[in-house]
Amino acid sequence: MDELELLKKDWQNKDATYPKLSYNEIYKMILQKSSSIVKWIFIISILEFVFWLFMAIGLKASGYNNDYGGLYTSPGFIILSILSYGILAYFFYKFYMNYKRINTTDNSKTLMENILKTRRTVKQYVGFNLAVLVIGVAYMMPYAINHDEKTRALVETAKANGEIFKYYLGVAIVTLISLVVAVAILLLFYWLIYGLLLRSLNKNYKELKKLEV
Amino acid sequence: MDKELEHSFVELLEKHQNIVHKVCRLYTNNHDAHNDLFQEITIQLWKAYPKFRGDAKFSTWMYRVGLNTAITLYRKSKRSIKTQEFESVSFKIKSEDYDDTEEQQLKLLYKAVHQLNDIEKALVFLYLEDKNYSEISETLGITEVNARVKMNRVKKKLKTILNP
Repeated sequence: MDELELLKKDWQNKDATYPKLSYNEIYKMILQKSSSIVKWIFIISILEFVFWLFMAIGLKASGYNNDYGGLYTSPGFIILSILSYGILAYFFYKFYMNYKRINTTDNSKTLMENILKTRRTVKQYVGFNLAVLVIGVAYMMPYAINHDEKTRALVETAKANGEIFKYYLGVAIVTLISLVVAVAILLLFYWLIYGLLLRSLNKNYKELKKLEV
Repeated sequence: MDKELEHSFVELLEKHQNIVHKVCRLYTNNHDAHNDLFQEITIQLWKAYPKFRGDAKFSTWMYRVGLNTAITLYRKSKRSIKTQEFESVSFKIKSEDYDDTEEQQLKLLYKAVHQLNDIEKALVFLYLEDKNYSEISETLGITEVNARVKMNRVKKKLKTILNP
């Protein structure tokens, strides 16, 4: 006899051996909160949106404190801001639509694809923010050097000492290293969160996809 | 959600709860994990219930949500803790019902099934539940041909596990 047939015979004869939960026990369960990965992805994604929003607001506020106010009224910055808020709104919309599309009554492959799509949107959002961070710093640095009194004084001193090239090189290296470290920490953080959360889903999705080859 | 809906759902689930227990049995190793997954499937079923159309059978619908929860939504960290072999505790086959060789073989078979990956378990589960390949392919979102191919591979894999 085929092994699975033997198993099937036994499997179907075992109905009486399963625990029997009462009406009240089941009722209590529906009042509990879900701990599914979709819920966690949703929470983490919202936190990400909020985090980057606060980062942007925080950076601007600190800019104002440092007398970079003039920078924020420059046409280039206004265009960049409108563009980034527009993109932010687009990401919110896309994320929400993706999330709404997740339906446990879909077939397994579609469900996995929709979850991964949500994840992809958040990934793109993070990528977008990292790009904005890099562009923003590149855009602000010359302005900061030219408008901040302390920095200007440092530039003057460097100029007087004939070390202006060394000074700019130093600033560029420090900025670059800071950016690389910040991006690396963020990427590690995402890799840890999503990597662990979606490890088995990814594995199962690949397994399902493998059948198509 | 209104009380009537709650009542009809709980009543239906109480009647068909074995389907959820079977999914949990296949995807977990101990009591705590079994209860944990049972609860998560119940929550997911309840969340999806307002969209449940009477034209589909409640049990058929349960297979899909139950399996999707087990292989896609459920966080596995808790279930990987192997405190004790669930198989030997909850569902021990009474020895008088079976002869020794068959019992031994079944024990090995259940053990072997537990070693399969999540997707293979889903295939085996639907097969054990007497679902045809068309239903299996619809539930998992793969073609019927692929479902057959994969099922044959699973059969071979089980043979290898049983007779290394």
